[in-house]
Amino acid sequence: MRIRKIVTVGAILASTAMPAFAADLTIGRATEPSSIDPQFSRTGNNQMTAELIFGRLVEFGPNLELSPGLATSWEALDDTTWQINLREGVTFHDGSPLTADDVMFSLERTDEVPNSPAPFSDMVSNIAAMDKVDDLTFKITTRTPAPRLIEDIGRVFIVSKTAAEGATSEDFNSGQVTIGTGPYVFESWTPGETLQIQAYDGYWGEKPDFADVDVRFISNDAARVAALLSGEVDLIDAVPPTDVPRLSETEGIRVISAASGRVVYLGLSMRFDEAPEVTDLDGNPLGDNPFRDARVRKAVSHMIDRALLVDRILGGSGVPAGQLVPNVLGGHAQGLEPDPYDPEKAKQLLAEAGYPDGFGITVYSSNNRLPGDADVGQALGQMLARGGLQVNGIRTLPYNIYAKAASAGDYSVFVFSLGSSTPSSAPNLMGLIHSHDKATGKGPFNRVRYANAHFDAALEAAMQEFDTEKRNELLADATRLAFAETPIVPLYWQKVHWAMKDEIAYDGGLSEATVAQNVTKVE
Amino acid sequence: MTAFIIRRALQAVVVLFLTALIVFLGVYAIGDPLEILLPGDATEAERAQVAASLGLDQPLPVQFIGFLTDILSGDFGRSFVYNRPTIDVIFERFPATLELVVTALVLSLLIGIPLGLWAGMKPRSAVDETIMTGSILGFSLPNFWQGMMLIMIFSVWLGWLPSTGRGDTATVLSIRTSFATWDGFTHLILPAINLALAQIALVIRLTRTGVQETTPLDFVRFARARGLTERRILLVHVMKNILIPIVTVLGIEFGSLIAFAVVTETIFAWPGIGKLIIDSINALDRPVIVTYILFIVTMFIVINLLVDILYSLIDPRIRVRQP
Repeated sequence: MRIRKIVTVGAILASTAMPAFAADLTIGRATEPSSIDPQFSRTGNNQMTAELIFGRLVEFGPNLELSPGLATSWEALDDTTWQINLREGVTFHDGSPLTADDVMFSLERTDEVPNSPAPFSDMVSNIAAMDKVDDLTFKITTRTPAPRLIEDIGRVFIVSKTAAEGATSEDFNSGQVTIGTGPYVFESWTPGETLQIQAYDGYWGEKPDFADVDVRFISNDAARVAALLSGEVDLIDAVPPTDVPRLSETEGIRVISAASGRVVYLGLSMRFDEAPEVTDLDGNPLGDNPFRDARVRKAVSHMIDRALLVDRILGGSGVPAGQLVPNVLGGHAQGLEPDPYDPEKAKQLLAEAGYPDGFGITVYSSNNRLPGDADVGQALGQMLARGGLQVNGIRTLPYNIYAKAASAGDYSVFVFSLGSSTPSSAPNLMGLIHSHDKATGKGPFNRVRYANAHFDAALEAAMQEFDTEKRNELLADATRLAFAETPIVPLYWQKVHWAMKDEIAYDGGLSEATVAQNVTKVE
Repeated sequence: MTAFIIRRALQAVVVLFLTALIVFLGVYAIGDPLEILLPGDATEAERAQVAASLGLDQPLPVQFIGFLTDILSGDFGRSFVYNRPTIDVIFERFPATLELVVTALVLSLLIGIPLGLWAGMKPRSAVDETIMTGSILGFSLPNFWQGMMLIMIFSVWLGWLPSTGRGDTATVLSIRTSFATWDGFTHLILPAINLALAQIALVIRLTRTGVQETTPLDFVRFARARGLTERRILLVHVMKNILIPIVTVLGIEFGSLIAFAVVTETIFAWPGIGKLIIDSINALDRPVIVTYILFIVTMFIVINLLVDILYSLIDPRIRVRQP
């Protein structure tokens, strides 16, 4: 009798474990948006949410490649005037047609969203004026020649003018004005829990395979994996590298990996005359900053066995890097390979620079920012010690403490990363390698304060070039110029993983986004 | 009683002020919210714009005084991350945590007290040994590991219960709750058990000790002499005497569970405030952190006050002793 009761209870529980109103597709996402307002913040978690509901002038493919979106073409009339032609027959979720007024309104709204923690304002800062030509055409006058204008304004999500005029971010969160041209219609958002969306019948592009989608926010890695294994969700992102081998072997589960545009690098700070925590062999301050000598930086690069780091520490979840962007992005310098592991050459370079016995350093790394970042810090410490430096300590810290100190220049040897969000290397070169100048806002995260006037000039010339192919060639040349001096020590491009049930597939790429429209059924 | 409450209220104001000051300084010392909020490719102009709009360009004392004046007019500031009033952000998630904690506490009483009584009545018997060993497990197995095991067994292997989120909720008396739907209820089971296990162990031990201390006392013997049934002696007379420590401890535990249910909430992706505070600390969302901690401190102050008042209701001797 009792046994029968237990079985019955079990059966009842089993039959109700699935949600009552099952969606066609349930996605378990690691990060959640801070707002549904597509112009509130341009951090990755917000952008990949907005991409579901809102359209943009151009579409960015999985590898950030540009293709026409709401704009079908764009042409430069002269150095500072662009004409943008919009797609015909595009409608918003409320049925109203997309016009130039909506687009111009959206571009104007970008830097007017109050208290935005990560505004899109830089995307539109070059716009001096906008003129409507007709309902589907408008012109933009820029302050300076802007060959890459479409890459910038193309990142801004287009909202409906009638709905969003005077609306606050909260009106978007509640769904009141959440009207876009994207493949999905907003249903509801419960912060920390779920986002519910439904396919839009009138979408101008290719209809997604799944109509009724739930996005669940599960930040804990183990919980996300468990939710996939128990069948509660169909697809998860940000699979921890340590779980990849196990999940690949699990029956009914598929893992898809992609190299991301995020480069993890070792910074060697040239910022101060006396480098913090760099010592002689007795532990006294060294005096002159050794990292101002390019030979020392090159020597450090040769001490690192990148293949070993990627294989052993990251379980294969990385691609050794010798520059900022991987080869699918514009401006990748062909032939610029990662420095090989070569301890002999490192010793020789150190001796040439006047440090035959090395010097003392402390290695810093974050411990909760990137998969395995603390282990990477530890491994680097050992590699540098073996390579001939005296490692006085390896410190790993939570990112919220680490980021401030790294930017303030407290560390001389530190692990940091930079993601790519545009189809070319230009913004990353400008941010990380261009000499730091607070007044003009150039080199904002050049934490090591590398400065090379030749490179600066080459980069700025490249960014003035209108022809995309030529521009990428110039960017590659500038990259070769800088990396001959090892401005930073690139380590690897991070790999990202998605895991899903066998019957679906995901077209994931460099942008690291997890969006429902890229999920497909597998026959 | 009134003087007692007023004195407590004054103490509370001082405690709250000091808490606000310490947390404010602490978060400032940890790091710069801009480093976390801004995307990796933000320009200097954007940085300056954000700093100005969030008030982070002001010197720290100015920020703190501004924060205090706003509080006095009932405004706890807006979250850096969500740009919504911190009170809204916290109270939107509070019912989820409350629901989980109340369920866990009810479970711990329903399971803990009977088991504790049983073990206490039969000291050193096989029953006692089994229950006490079980309670050691409840105490000593890490909460995190228990949670993962529950998910492993009941969600992944058996497939009986869901392991993430709240499931379908319905609104009852304008509060969104998982109790209202069967689906929501099944979502509640695993996290509530996970949170309750240590509490059950605690209640068992408190009850058992209480029973063992009380049964040799004279009033129990007299009750037996009067011919009362064992059942009545245990459930009425002994119970009354052992409730005081249980109420005290559970009062404090109630507060701690609300404030620190974070492990359970993280494992089960339960959208409560424990998860919110960890996310906020990682993002250095100072307004949320400060408001949250002030809220928790207030809650502890109120709970302690209520526990003191409850004492006098449960135990007439305390009522008599009071001036």
